[in-house]
Amino acid sequence: MTIHCDHFDDLLLAGDSFSMQVAAQHARGCPACAERLASWNEISDTARGMHASWSNDMLWPRIERAIVADAKRSRARQWQIAAAFLIFAALGAVVWRANERVRNAEFDNAILRASAVDQVETAERAHVVAIDNLEKLTKSKLEDPSTPLLVSYKEKLMLLDDAIAECQASIDRNRQNAHLRRQLLAIYSEKQRTLQEVLREETHASNQ
Amino acid sequence: MHGVAAALMSMPRITSNEDIRLANGCAAGDTGVFEEIYRHHGDRMKSIAFNHLGNVSDAEDAVQETFLKLHRSASTYNGESAFTTWMYRVLINTCYDALRRRQRCIQEAPIEDITYQRAGASVDDAKRMTLRNMLAALPEQRRTVFVLFEIEGLSHAEIARVLNISEGNSKWILFATKKQLQEQWKNQS
Repeated sequence: MTIHCDHFDDLLLAGDSFSMQVAAQHARGCPACAERLASWNEISDTARGMHASWSNDMLWPRIERAIVADAKRSRARQWQIAAAFLIFAALGAVVWRANERVRNAEFDNAILRASAVDQVETAERAHVVAIDNLEKLTKSKLEDPSTPLLVSYKEKLMLLDDAIAECQASIDRNRQNAHLRRQLLAIYSEKQRTLQEVLREETHASNQ
Repeated sequence: MHGVAAALMSMPRITSNEDIRLANGCAAGDTGVFEEIYRHHGDRMKSIAFNHLGNVSDAEDAVQETFLKLHRSASTYNGESAFTTWMYRVLINTCYDALRRRQRCIQEAPIEDITYQRAGASVDDAKRMTLRNMLAALPEQRRTVFVLFEIEGLSHAEIARVLNISEGNSKWILFATKKQLQEQWKNQS
């Protein structure tokens, strides 16, 4: 087989015995390729003698000890992981229990607050009924006020009714707001006083 | 062909019961299985490590580290290659790690000369030392392909399986490496 120097590298790349035979055949008639083939083969020949071999009777016992120690460490690590998991689980249980208690306490408090609010509202309703009764007594006089003072009382009562309605609306939005309830109580007290004054004014006018 | 190559040629290409037995033994820390692997492959493992790391001490450390890695990660062996192929891959990666650690330390270990198992009487020690120095300067993959093919006598098919590359790529890397060495070889001469 005749080959050209340009294809010499292809033979070296293929590297199989047939390609190397063809390369050797070509090199016999081509000094440049012969030199390349010689150094190519010299590298391979040198490399084949580089397989390292030495004896060390201590190496296997050393490796064995290292494996045994590693296995022990690995088992210890597994126990550590298991212990860490248990501690984590125990902590989780404690935290969960504490949360549960807090939630129960909050629920109980909410129940108690609701009960207290109900009591307040019952008392408020009784108070309002009493004031309504008082208002009925003054109704005829206020519908047709005969004196400027009664006109003034009527206007004041209208203002107080508006304030009561506004305050009641706010309380409906937040039943547990004690401040609003105190404010509503104060307005009702004022209305009560005003109605009592109207009644007194009526009595005073009839005496005259 | 070396005994090394003959042994590796006999490596099964697909997972066999033997591979599963070796992997299970390693995962369980069975020192009997490790000793069996060491008796069969220890010599070539040492040679491969020595030809990557350049000294006996580092080579022995790399072999020991490889056995520890086999113990720690045998449970992850998925059987896509023969157990011994996987083991040589672990060894070569361990050598790469050692080389990188050495580069970080910026203290190149001196290349030792040891008693070689000579294949040809014409090859003298000076040539081997020259070639060893040139190998030390090669990139990792080139050095590995050269060591496995030219020194340890593996076929391109076996190298491809160990390095997880194609057979054609293995051939090309060897050719390019030898061309590079040839240039340096001429200059040395």
